[in-house]
Amino acid sequence: MVEIRSPSVRRGWSESVRARASEIVKQYPEPRSAVMPLLYLAMAEEGYLTDNGMREVAGAVGLTPAQVRAVASFYTMYKRENPGRYLISCCTSISCMLLGSDEVLRAIEDESDVTAGETDPAELISVEHVECIGACGGAPAVTVNYELIEGMTTEKARELVRWLRTARPEAIVGAECQELFGGRRSFDWGAFDRDSALGPYPAFGPLGTVSGPAGDQEG
Amino acid sequence: MTEPVTVTINRREVSAQPGEMLIKTAQDNGVYIPRFCWHPRMNPVGMCRMCLVEIETPRGPLMVTSCTTPVSDGMTVDTTNPSVKKAQEGVLEFLLINHPLDCPVCDRAGECPLQDQTMAYGPGESRFVEEKRHFEKPIPISELVMLDRERCILCARCTRFSEEISGDPLIEFQERGNYTEVNTFPDEPFRSYFSGNTVQICPVGALTATPYRFRARPWDLTFVVSTCQHCSSGDRINLQSSQNRLLRILGLDSEPTNQGWLSDKCRFGFEYVASPARLTSPMVRDEEGELREASWGEALDYAGGALGEVISRSGGRAVAGLGGARGTNEDAYAFSKFLRSAVGTNSVDCQMDDGLDPRLLSGIVDRARIADLEGAGSILVWGPDLKEEHPTLYLRVRRAAQELGAGLVVIHPRGTGLDDRASVKVTYQPGRGGEVLSELMDGNGRMAEAREVLSNGPVVALLGRPGYGESPDLAEATAAFVRSLPDATILPLARRGNVFGALDMGLSPALLPGRAQRGTLAAQMLADRWGELPAASGRDCRRILEGLESGDIEALVLVGADPVRDVPDGGLARRAFENAGLVVAIDQFLTDSSRMADVVFPAMGFSEVEGTVTNIEGRVLKVNRLTPGPGQSRPDWAILSDLAARLGVDLGLVSAQQISQEVEELADIYRSVNWERLDWEDRDGVVVGGDLGYVPVFSQVTSVSPRSGEMALHYARTMYDDGVMMRESPSLRPLAPGSAAHLHPSDAARLGVGEGDSVDVTSVSGSLQAGVVIDPTLEPGVVYVPFNQPDTPSLGSVLGVKVSR
Repeated sequence: MVEIRSPSVRRGWSESVRARASEIVKQYPEPRSAVMPLLYLAMAEEGYLTDNGMREVAGAVGLTPAQVRAVASFYTMYKRENPGRYLISCCTSISCMLLGSDEVLRAIEDESDVTAGETDPAELISVEHVECIGACGGAPAVTVNYELIEGMTTEKARELVRWLRTARPEAIVGAECQELFGGRRSFDWGAFDRDSALGPYPAFGPLGTVSGPAGDQEG
Repeated sequence: MTEPVTVTINRREVSAQPGEMLIKTAQDNGVYIPRFCWHPRMNPVGMCRMCLVEIETPRGPLMVTSCTTPVSDGMTVDTTNPSVKKAQEGVLEFLLINHPLDCPVCDRAGECPLQDQTMAYGPGESRFVEEKRHFEKPIPISELVMLDRERCILCARCTRFSEEISGDPLIEFQERGNYTEVNTFPDEPFRSYFSGNTVQICPVGALTATPYRFRARPWDLTFVVSTCQHCSSGDRINLQSSQNRLLRILGLDSEPTNQGWLSDKCRFGFEYVASPARLTSPMVRDEEGELREASWGEALDYAGGALGEVISRSGGRAVAGLGGARGTNEDAYAFSKFLRSAVGTNSVDCQMDDGLDPRLLSGIVDRARIADLEGAGSILVWGPDLKEEHPTLYLRVRRAAQELGAGLVVIHPRGTGLDDRASVKVTYQPGRGGEVLSELMDGNGRMAEAREVLSNGPVVALLGRPGYGESPDLAEATAAFVRSLPDATILPLARRGNVFGALDMGLSPALLPGRAQRGTLAAQMLADRWGELPAASGRDCRRILEGLESGDIEALVLVGADPVRDVPDGGLARRAFENAGLVVAIDQFLTDSSRMADVVFPAMGFSEVEGTVTNIEGRVLKVNRLTPGPGQSRPDWAILSDLAARLGVDLGLVSAQQISQEVEELADIYRSVNWERLDWEDRDGVVVGGDLGYVPVFSQVTSVSPRSGEMALHYARTMYDDGVMMRESPSLRPLAPGSAAHLHPSDAARLGVGEGDSVDVTSVSGSLQAGVVIDPTLEPGVVYVPFNQPDTPSLGSVLGVKVSR
């Protein structure tokens, strides 16, 4: 007799998250086109992509969970394992590599004592190397929780890791990190906007995946 | 048809339809281009790169995948030159990098496209010395399918099938790059009604079927071409056996019917054939009231004597016959001839009080063919859930709506498999069908869109009984309305394997063989051959059972039917059997019905007899014999012939072939059928025309509502149930969903029950306990209970039931 894995206990999204999901779905002519932003929503909701989150996304866009998992597992930025509180991603594609990203990555690994692809036992810091993050003009670049910092050096990278360890900021804000640890930028990003500093992944804000007005959380 | 274009393949000019893919043009002209991912019934993807060929372009020779390159006029193609050969060797060397070469223990070895094409086109040697990738071998992805990811070459045939053809993509590529694998979602198995097709089209041994794994090697199999007898679509199949044991069924690509695909019920529902529970000897009820084995002579004497007594005492009309829809046309003809000429009764029915008027089913004017779906402008499906009861027809409708652009209107009391492809879906409360039909005819309100869709001709309507609370008149009234739609044709639905053949052979009170009605010239011609036909009009299944219960009918002859389990009102059937004076059963098993018989004859069945069957569109197809019947079992017609002899009548039946010829002579519409040709040039079957021209009558179907305090019952079949063939097939038996009460969330809330809680469902004729399934596709106030599940009593063909905690 063949043993089939039985369904695990299913926890659903709250009504408000479902409502936000259906708002996102409405922005696309075909519901299934919304699968990628909804995966960010699922990640923002639970910190990483769980089976439960993928099942919710499937229900929201009318795909099977297997199809959603096919998308989620193709892209490395969808985390299916819980990363640490701060995810440091170091670009090692060609522009960054030519300008010393290998050394930057080594510095991050050394300072944090976390090998790329892993998380420290305290689940505070995860380190990974990633392919091009679109910041070649500001190479070498890293992101922390998907917030960009350009013009990295080995010194600044070590400082960044120490800062994350000691300051333990509530939310990572790209502009703030850039001021503290960044160097040359690819272009001027404009005014620093605190409204985007929400949730575990503020970078997902413009996708409509982060809840509530800024004041609610800060107040 | 557009102008054909001329293409030069390997220095030979051939003509082709523009837009056709090069690989197909080549194949149709005798040039085989190796391939793994391309399948003629699916859209091309160019995944495997095996079909590389070289075409001439203004910029010189260009290597292209022939499965994704449409032919164009003047195209010059080379499929064999040294650079193509080198490309093929390269592709195969790559494909074999991670392929384990465990052929000696692989089920596919001997019929494996990868093995065969490596021999024919491969490099012979690999330069890969590194470690291959490893996965856990093999993992079950459903009760029926095992997946070996090491063997997989990522051709995407299985994933494309489940998305494009069957519409239940429960398997998909997961991960990326070197880590890519086919898999399911972690806790959602590949429970598809069509999963077996992925095993059949897998070009390696990555997907294997648990019922066949390690049972035989391909070169040990003997096979014969036949027709599936589970549903009435007439799917063409290849039966394969080893050492006289049926081991595997594969789908054949027959354009008019299944186009290569099969449901898992058809593919794996053959294990009952070799069940140890099969009857091997006649049985007679002894003095203590127990059935005991008897010799053929004794059993025939007993049955013949008892039947003769009833006939001489009360006349032939005191005898009735039920069944015949599961056998061949020849068996059905013998049954019809037996009852009408040897017994003298018109009381016979091959439907189990769950179908439609026989004249409507096989004699309707403007009857559709399955192929009409391909050119349909719009399709109306108002009947059983096709996915549950007509699986390959479901695939055809799905294809018409999804790939060929037909509009689709589905009307059903709950969600169906076609809903995701329907232009308009209407859900309603069982019993209110009449109202829904009036709305549809008016075309106002929520029906405006449906009428808009159905204004696109030609319209094909598939009509049947959605559930057993619904009046059969509804389908007829709908048919009458549909005839007013543009270029409408109608395909009436009935599910049992050969129910249309049985009706054509006269197994209904109203029809004689060849769809002849009593009192016509055709009936007179039949009487010349059969002798005087019984004058009294006959009873249908329900009235036969009522007659048995009341004593108006004293004896019943049962051929391959199980009314106690199969009639919606199972309680009535049980009482009928208990009160019957005499029951003579011809069956393969002791079913809940034949268990109550006085004499039981062991019958041969599927894969043991040859003959013809007639499918849902009136297509006559051949069934063939591959394995011997168990013990002393014999074909139905031979048993009936011997029984008639005991009544002093010679039916004149000699063999299935002779009966088929007799049918050809007697039944005008069967004149185009030729026994021998059915195995060769007519292997896709012959449609018997000459319909009755029965014009469906429109009658106002009154809507009924359940009484207060009751819920409307939707009582309908599922693909896997507790029928004896499913019960005796170990691979399929656990797949029956079991008793369940599907409730709308609002009703569940009202009753204070949640998913999995137990409720009592009580009707006037029965009561059962079932687990709650929350089903938002139902209308509030409706409870759906799957029919004939293991250990569940029958609720009867009632509308209202009480549901309580």
